[in-house]
Amino acid sequence: MATLTSATPTREMALNPTLLWKRMRRELLSVVLVVVLFIVIIGPMLTVIFWAFAEQWRYPSLVPTKWGLSYWQETLTRADVTAALPLSIGLATIVTFLSAVICLPASYAFARMNFPGRQGFLLSFLATNAFPRFGLYVSIAVVFFRLNLIGTLPGVILIQIVNTLLLMIWIPTAAFQNIDRSLEEAALDVGASRVRVFLQITLPLVLPALSAAILLTFVSTFYEAQGALIIGVPNIQTMPVLMYSIINSQVIVQYGAVISLVLWLPSLLLLTFAQRFVRGNTISAGFGV
Amino acid sequence: MPYRKFFAVTLLVGILIGALIACSSPSAPPATSAPAATSAPAATNAPPPSGGKSVVNFYTDGDTNISDWIANKVKPAFEKAYPQYELKVTTVRGVGNGVADIAARAQAAMQTGADPQAEVFDWDPRGRPEYIQAGVFEKLSPANVPNAKNVPEAYYLSEYGMPYRGSQVLLAYDSSKIPDNEVPKTFADLVTWVKAHPGQFVYCRPDKGGSGGNFVVRALYEVTGKDPKIFQSADPDPKILAEFPKAWELLRSMHDSIYQNGSYPAGNNPVLELLANGSVSMATVWSDQSRQALDKGVLPPTIKVVQFTDLPMPGSYAPLSVVAGAKNKQGALDFVNFMLSVEEQTSVVKDIGGFPAIEWKYLPQDLQTQFTSVITNNVPYWPGGKWSTERDKGWYENVATNIKQGSP
Amino acid sequence: MTRPYNRKKIFMATARALTAQPAPPAAAKRRDLSGLFGYVLIAPPVAIMLLLIFYPAIEAVIETIFVSDAQTGQTTLSLQNYIAFFQDPILRANLTFTVLVTLATVFMLFVVGYPLAMYLRFSKSRLAGTVQVLTLFPLFVPGVILAFALIRFLGTHGMFDTLLGIVGISGYRTPYLQPQGIVIALVWEHIPFTVLVLTAGLRQVEDAVIESARDVGASGWQIFTRILLPLTTRSALIVFCLNVIGVFGAFTLPYLLGPAQPMMMGVSMQQAFNNYQDRIGALTQAVLTFLICAAVGVLYVRTITRPRER
Repeated sequence: MATLTSATPTREMALNPTLLWKRMRRELLSVVLVVVLFIVIIGPMLTVIFWAFAEQWRYPSLVPTKWGLSYWQETLTRADVTAALPLSIGLATIVTFLSAVICLPASYAFARMNFPGRQGFLLSFLATNAFPRFGLYVSIAVVFFRLNLIGTLPGVILIQIVNTLLLMIWIPTAAFQNIDRSLEEAALDVGASRVRVFLQITLPLVLPALSAAILLTFVSTFYEAQGALIIGVPNIQTMPVLMYSIINSQVIVQYGAVISLVLWLPSLLLLTFAQRFVRGNTISAGFGV
Repeated sequence: MPYRKFFAVTLLVGILIGALIACSSPSAPPATSAPAATSAPAATNAPPPSGGKSVVNFYTDGDTNISDWIANKVKPAFEKAYPQYELKVTTVRGVGNGVADIAARAQAAMQTGADPQAEVFDWDPRGRPEYIQAGVFEKLSPANVPNAKNVPEAYYLSEYGMPYRGSQVLLAYDSSKIPDNEVPKTFADLVTWVKAHPGQFVYCRPDKGGSGGNFVVRALYEVTGKDPKIFQSADPDPKILAEFPKAWELLRSMHDSIYQNGSYPAGNNPVLELLANGSVSMATVWSDQSRQALDKGVLPPTIKVVQFTDLPMPGSYAPLSVVAGAKNKQGALDFVNFMLSVEEQTSVVKDIGGFPAIEWKYLPQDLQTQFTSVITNNVPYWPGGKWSTERDKGWYENVATNIKQGSP
Repeated sequence: MTRPYNRKKIFMATARALTAQPAPPAAAKRRDLSGLFGYVLIAPPVAIMLLLIFYPAIEAVIETIFVSDAQTGQTTLSLQNYIAFFQDPILRANLTFTVLVTLATVFMLFVVGYPLAMYLRFSKSRLAGTVQVLTLFPLFVPGVILAFALIRFLGTHGMFDTLLGIVGISGYRTPYLQPQGIVIALVWEHIPFTVLVLTAGLRQVEDAVIESARDVGASGWQIFTRILLPLTTRSALIVFCLNVIGVFGAFTLPYLLGPAQPMMMGVSMQQAFNNYQDRIGALTQAVLTFLICAAVGVLYVRTITRPRER
């Protein structure tokens, strides 16, 4: 059904050039915008994609002079890469999960409870972004040595959680604040338990914001390198740490390009998930759900 | 409510992946188990991860040709020769300050008496004298590294770093654009050539890559009577420092004729890239890196390398340093000794296009004949340390910009 | 008018969060749980922040303002390190350069982001969704890959140069290793956030307001300058503040794409620390950078704590 409805206008357009042209004129701005954005946003990334599949690429050819997959095999069979990739995905997952566990109750408190210094505490999380990080790492390392956290998974998780606090607290706090309280109150008035009200009314209302916070946290953690380096090595070597070292110091461009593409995969997958629900939502909305 | 689904799926996928990793990756670094040993220094000999083998943690921030060579060639050979050890190679280049960060960590470990989780660095500790003073590094000599007896005295940079591979900065040019007879033979020739061909020559920032750093050093030699030996003291001689402005003037006079009216890339590899895609036709490069790039086809075969005939550009011997407080210090010393063996020194020449740190006469005869063209006893040595700081500061202040001269 | 796009909702939720918070505690005294429990709930993230940001940061500040005399070994409170910073013409140039690059970047972000946000707010085109995906895309590209890509896209004999060559344009001058290179890269990196917040701000302007203005004969330009701009100053201020904080301390992109000299503060402090072994000098620069970001942070805090005029 859904495919049918969405396919119809397309077919019409294809069959009727006048209509197509009219539509095109109406959409001219959009088309121009998409083309320009495509060149500006996707263009630079195309060079990375091309390099990943290039055996050789010499100026002045617009595309690689020799295509091939040999660097994929060479890169993906590197022992450091095969070890780092699952580690990175797992680490980002754990950090995101733990960050949600400690931050979401806090953001609920910030939004719903009244205690002295509430606003001050909430705003102080801005400091996690304002102090140049590198100035802090050496002192942090001293602390971590005392706590026996250097080179351990808990150590890396801790240092990476710091980077997630801002997003994971601010976004949900606002979501909790923006809920229309009358809904909850109405439910309470008809005798629903607090837990039930939270699970069935509050939570669904904040889920979009929570999804956003979690998605962004996962992506930024997945790409974090400096904290992971100073605290993690030698036992914990994440993909971004590896990628920095390969991109900056490798005469062979292809290794870096392949790793970049591999690193994109998880976040693109997440985006695709969102995409799928876009369509799902469109369909259900079409049926009036 | 599709959100709930989205949320649930995301969470589920996350948990699944996490679980998968937790149970399926013995090959992944055994993160959770490794640190257990750190709290109990008494129970030393057998750290858990490698089943009876003691780990030697090796750190490098060298370019990937070096780290790949260590990981793929040296590591198996070392573990075969010393079955009791496991060599763990970690590359820390590009993020933060590289090995210097790990050295800082080692110092922090000293303060608390913890295991620094670091044994050997492919790194020159002279860059951070405060760590040497603090006792972070072990003194190295033939007493604890027997093979060091074959290393010529002149190669030693300090008693805390054991030289183990050398390379030299060369002038690379595109022979399809520059006829061989026009290629500069001396530094003065180069200056003339660059000014006659604006935008065609480039070198990198001296602190970001040795191919640029040693080029700047060569300019310093040029204005101080072409005698590298005067730079040997650890503390820069004020009389010599007073001569530096002449070099800045010389380099500044080339500034506008450098690639893009004076744009200096941030490393050895960005320079090789400009050379590879034809943006420039001449540049300074490391001997080993250019050889690897030519072998792999990164540089077109028309690229050729030469050295100045009057006085070469400096090269350097990369040292290994050993952390004094390392848990497995004996393993570290054994590793340094192993790297100075004839087999590994041969590998330095054959696999990474480097120069050996032991004298050529100890290497196989056929190798000596094969490499006669590069065998030279005339590679100037630059002492680094404070001299390099003076070089970099002076360059940034007087060549990359002329703010200081312009201001009252 | 609401689109059933999941991504748009995510987009909106994020933007709303960043523009709307923190509203005064809703008039919810009725269900006010005890304050103590609130402290318990916020304790874990606050503790992590105190331990890993505030404690080392305070240590850094202390290290820069207490100067120990080499001969007597006595430590005194002194601003000597900061005076030294401002006496050094190179460091002064770096600071000025950082301010200029930051302002140029933020200015360009408005020039690019505002029209995009207007488009996303008002367009009824089917392609609006595509435009949105494209503007969000940079969120998923880490800085080092961006630098890697831009060098090969914008560099001499890069893809862009080659494209120009194909259509017959020569004499391309690359922004690689120029200040423009940093600005381009930083704008690219910060577009998603900018568009996100500005779109949310524009969405708070109700259609009815615009329609009634149109009814009394206001031109498009008048609607833009008299209605849209004034009503979105709040989100514009937020974009300004958070982008300044994000751009000012940037390291990776300026390091790989910018000129050797002058350099941005992020690069400059790394160099002081790493190449000149000047830990105190580097920390001084870090603290100064922080102070500037903190001043902008105060502006931000004042913006969001001010009650909305509506």
